[in-house]
Amino acid sequence: MHIPDAFIPLPQGAVYWVIALVFIALSLRWARKEMREDRIPLVAVLAAGIFAIQAINVPIPWGTSGHMMGAALAAIVLGSPFAAVFVLTLVLIVQGVLFGDGGLTTMGANIINMGVIGGFIGFYSYRGLFRLFRTIYPAAFIAGWLSLFIAALACAVEMAVAGTFPLELGLLSMGLYHAVIGVIEGGITAVAIYLIHTARPDIMAETPGVPST
Amino acid sequence: MIDDLFLIEKYAYRKSLVHNLDARVKIAVTFAVIIAIVAVPYSTMVYPVGGIFFIFFTALWGVSGLSPIVYLKRLTMILPFGIFLVIFQVFFRNRYYEAFTTIATLPFGIEVYAESVEFASILLVKFLVSVSFIILLSSTTKTPDLLEGAGRLGLPAEFTLVLGMMIRYLYVFGYMIRKTQQSLETRCFDPFDRSLPYRYRLEKLAYAVGTLFIRSYEQGERTYVSMLCRGYGPKSHIYIAKKSMAVRDWAFLFTGLLVAVTVPVMTWSRLLPYA
Repeated sequence: MHIPDAFIPLPQGAVYWVIALVFIALSLRWARKEMREDRIPLVAVLAAGIFAIQAINVPIPWGTSGHMMGAALAAIVLGSPFAAVFVLTLVLIVQGVLFGDGGLTTMGANIINMGVIGGFIGFYSYRGLFRLFRTIYPAAFIAGWLSLFIAALACAVEMAVAGTFPLELGLLSMGLYHAVIGVIEGGITAVAIYLIHTARPDIMAETPGVPST
Repeated sequence: MIDDLFLIEKYAYRKSLVHNLDARVKIAVTFAVIIAIVAVPYSTMVYPVGGIFFIFFTALWGVSGLSPIVYLKRLTMILPFGIFLVIFQVFFRNRYYEAFTTIATLPFGIEVYAESVEFASILLVKFLVSVSFIILLSSTTKTPDLLEGAGRLGLPAEFTLVLGMMIRYLYVFGYMIRKTQQSLETRCFDPFDRSLPYRYRLEKLAYAVGTLFIRSYEQGERTYVSMLCRGYGPKSHIYIAKKSMAVRDWAFLFTGLLVAVTVPVMTWSRLLPYA
């Protein structure tokens, strides 16, 4: 889902960067206000954790492999969608600058897709679904799935606007592929939250309307 | 990808004229070249610009003393998604051409267009140049230097501090993943082994991911406690000392920016011919 350089024209890339910068500024405000001194190691480790999670190849039923995004996990554990923006921005900077995964001119678009859309969809769907189900794990599972699926659709739309991939085929291929990968995203999000709840419930931020233990 | 981290670091710690350059100028030139190649319109103008940029990259890679195999190895790790997008272009019409000429018809009525093949090659050139300069930057610059360079160029303190810690933990995760994979292998567990039930494979992988997460978090806590012992507090930040640039850094910056700006301008004004 990481859009590389060259697949979005520079003016469009600049627009995505501006939008992303607004959210990065808001996430910085969140970090200054909410991220207490003792949260800094947590956020740094979580960013490294999300990076590692994204690097793990997970088998897909029809034979290939995929990888996770982790935005929903970050937003749920840290209790804010801006946490996902902050963490995913860090991850995307490292991936783009060190590994060439994603691009520099397309980083704004990638931050919007994975950090902003992934984080906001993941966080608010988790909150909404918890109120509906009254249990954490199905809510985390569906939130993880939705966060990846919607982010993939946004990626397809951006490439179509750029004129580098047809809209219908992009929506269909990206949508279908990520609908399946999303099951893995949701599953690992739910299992990771289960593990954190079981082993270290104190790590979890209390999401409004959702108990942390 | 996390395994590549050790490989990248191994090459970044070497010594050469390119390795010794200030990280700031390498970051600036990399950004300038990538922005320049992306700014070139989707036309055949990309070929001469991309060609000269690639010659510039090859010269820098040669001076860095790194083997071409290192570059090829890293390139093959990055290529898959971009190449997938490039290859599929040949089957689509796009908005950058008015008329399309069919050059081949495949089963199920799938057609290959000459203009789409050209568009795919344009995307490939842009993509390869961008990726090559990223490979050069990260293969010749240590991660702490990159971080300091970014900090000196104005990256906010919140990001440099957390980014610095994140990079440190990446290695912790890298070692943990290696150990976990070895442990799974010694128990004959392969997540891609189709003889095992899919759900079972996924469950084991999810537990491995969750365990790695918690172990790394706990490592983070231990590091945090030791940081507290050394006087860490809310106002702490990474100290980045002022550093003046040497003549060779200025020379490289000037040459890099000159190449990044003049080559597209000369091509656009037809001083450099293209079809």
